[in-house]
Amino acid sequence: MRPNSMAAMILAGGRGSRLFDLTKKVAKPAVHFGGKYRIIDFPLSNCANSGISTVGVLTQYESVLLNAYVAKDQYWGLDTQDGGVYVLTPRERDTAGLEVYRGTADAITQNIDFLDQVDPEYVLILSGDHIYKMDYDRMLRYHQEKEADATIAVLQVTLKEASRFGIMNCDKDDIINEFEEKPEHPKSNLASMGIYIFNYKTLRRYLLQDDKNDESNHDFGKDIIPQYLADKRRLAAYRFDGYWKDVGTVDSLWESNLDLLNENNELELENEQWKIYTEDVNALPAFIGDEAKIDNAYITQGSVVYGNVKNSVLGTNCYIGKDAKVVDSVINPGAKIGEGAKVTRCIVADGVEIGPGVTAGSANSETIELVAKRTME
Amino acid sequence: MDALGIINFEDTTATVDGLGNHRPIPAIAFMGRYRIIDFILSNMTNSGIDNVQVYAKEKPRNLFEHLGNGSHYNINSKRGKLRILYGEKNFASPVYNHDIANFMLNMQYIEEDHNPYVIVAPSYFVYSLDFNPVLEAHKESKADVTMLYTSTNEAKEKFLACDTVTLEKETKRVTWLGKNRGNTKSKNISLEAYIMSKKLFVDLVKKAAETSSLYWFKDILKDSIDELDVRGYAIRGYVGCISSLKDYYQEQMKLRERDVAESLFKQDWPIYTQTNDSAPSKYASGCKVTGSVIANGAHIEGTVKNCIISRNVTISKGAIVKDSIILPGAFIGENAKLDHVVVDKYAIIHHVKELKGTDDNPVYVERRDRI
Repeated sequence: MRPNSMAAMILAGGRGSRLFDLTKKVAKPAVHFGGKYRIIDFPLSNCANSGISTVGVLTQYESVLLNAYVAKDQYWGLDTQDGGVYVLTPRERDTAGLEVYRGTADAITQNIDFLDQVDPEYVLILSGDHIYKMDYDRMLRYHQEKEADATIAVLQVTLKEASRFGIMNCDKDDIINEFEEKPEHPKSNLASMGIYIFNYKTLRRYLLQDDKNDESNHDFGKDIIPQYLADKRRLAAYRFDGYWKDVGTVDSLWESNLDLLNENNELELENEQWKIYTEDVNALPAFIGDEAKIDNAYITQGSVVYGNVKNSVLGTNCYIGKDAKVVDSVINPGAKIGEGAKVTRCIVADGVEIGPGVTAGSANSETIELVAKRTME
Repeated sequence: MDALGIINFEDTTATVDGLGNHRPIPAIAFMGRYRIIDFILSNMTNSGIDNVQVYAKEKPRNLFEHLGNGSHYNINSKRGKLRILYGEKNFASPVYNHDIANFMLNMQYIEEDHNPYVIVAPSYFVYSLDFNPVLEAHKESKADVTMLYTSTNEAKEKFLACDTVTLEKETKRVTWLGKNRGNTKSKNISLEAYIMSKKLFVDLVKKAAETSSLYWFKDILKDSIDELDVRGYAIRGYVGCISSLKDYYQEQMKLRERDVAESLFKQDWPIYTQTNDSAPSKYASGCKVTGSVIANGAHIEGTVKNCIISRNVTISKGAIVKDSIILPGAFIGENAKLDHVVVDKYAIIHHVKELKGTDDNPVYVERRDRI
């Protein structure tokens, strides 16, 4: 495939501290989703499906697993002659010591040498922790049509939700004239998705300038975009109306998993035209026992089910013992639910064992229980 | 491992009715997500064999597509090589299209390989085996040829028309190769898998070609059994032979049992295959699924009992599918009742509401058929 003129940079350094034990040893982009995927499979597959061949992944927090994972660019078919997935971690420099990325913009600034080498006309900035399907090539065409200096993907949210997001106020042509971070009284409902297309040459100048500014947070939302607006640069809003979820909390991660059971789920993971690619795990197909009862479930290969599963998502190589009851739950890869155990409204973390007869979670609980340790009683 | 792997094709006594019309046996779908060739090929690559030649008798498209350059079988793309070889000429009649003819036509690729040993095996025997101890035993015994066999008590129903092995108890020296005509219960069955020096292999192939232009490799081996020191090497655990539609059906039904499956799919012995990136399977509200093996990408609304369901299969509302094997992409329409049926890829069962076969004679529905 001929490369297009856009390189993608995925910000994947986030810790995701509100996911608690799920991100104790792995960064949020490496957290499992939908039984067989990891969150970062979504932006990476979107890149592959959008014809982008060069993808930089900027990692920082607990990145051993994540770095090893994304380096396998063949998982997403990105191992082409002129492209690839490049892991970019903070590094020690001749002029400065080892410095961590100070902000989202700084992560890019510190890798300007990488981008110079790729020499793209456009740079696409993505976040590594959202679940969605998006055609970035379409967004690029929109960016070109609008003759913008930068284009920001936006989502229409309710005015109530708007106070939690960075909000774009636009004119009738969707050209942004104001940006407000978490406004108390939002004037519009167009929330930034943290997805940006920049003309690289201009962005490069802004990044180098921002780098010298000691007052700056070195953040796209807080510094770079406001500076573009202050300089009367042309910023376009690109409206996205598909499924999008920031799975930043245990509850939202659970919810997004259970959305997959919805008959009209907009994510359409089974859509052959826009597949989400992932690690090729060596696992048998699912084994369903003679006495199993399955009602509304999403089950991936390697699962062994002898018990009851209702409204739940089962990950690769998990095991549900005889007479166990798994209801409204997400069982992550390798987890084992013992005979007669009851698991309700839970996320059971990777490889965790729940002993025979143990009860975890409850149907009346307000929040979702995260089971991250072996539980034998 | 200092051996060249040669995956041979089966002779004409092995024919899987229906399925076999559309692709060679090695490329037939197996256990929901695999193809039959995945087992012998994974055995070889897991054993550390980096150079593998796959011989194809006919219709190689399926194999090319499935095997690719072998990287998904863990073959190092720089050091190793997976070659798909076939006779690039028209044979006067299908009887001339046998393994010896194909080896002769590709002799340069065998001779130029630097490994001193060869391991020759067909793919229609399905088992898990580390070839390292076998090669070790072969070297230690100083035998000319070491051949794999399995002992069975079901020779009346299974392994029909396979080669049988008679051997001396102590030395394991093979004294006679016969045919299983299904008249005795207990038999030693040859897996047609042989280990020998490359030199002997090349000599035997050439000798076969000189002896008769209809000879297969096993024919020349049979002829030479008195001159050569041929030893048997018993393999234990699951061995399936897929040489008919009945075998194909019954072996998979047996592998639905978790303990049987575990003697084929062993821990630390991965069976590799081509991934398809299908999403997990959706089990809808009101579905009933029991005793089955279900690959990814399936959508199940109806009843599935004791089945193998391959990827991207749809089982519609009200359908009842029992004791059946459904191949990738097939669509089972509303209220259809299938019992002992093998449904080939992308077939659509829509108008016919009931199909019923038996354990010995399952009904076969053609590839891409619409019924």
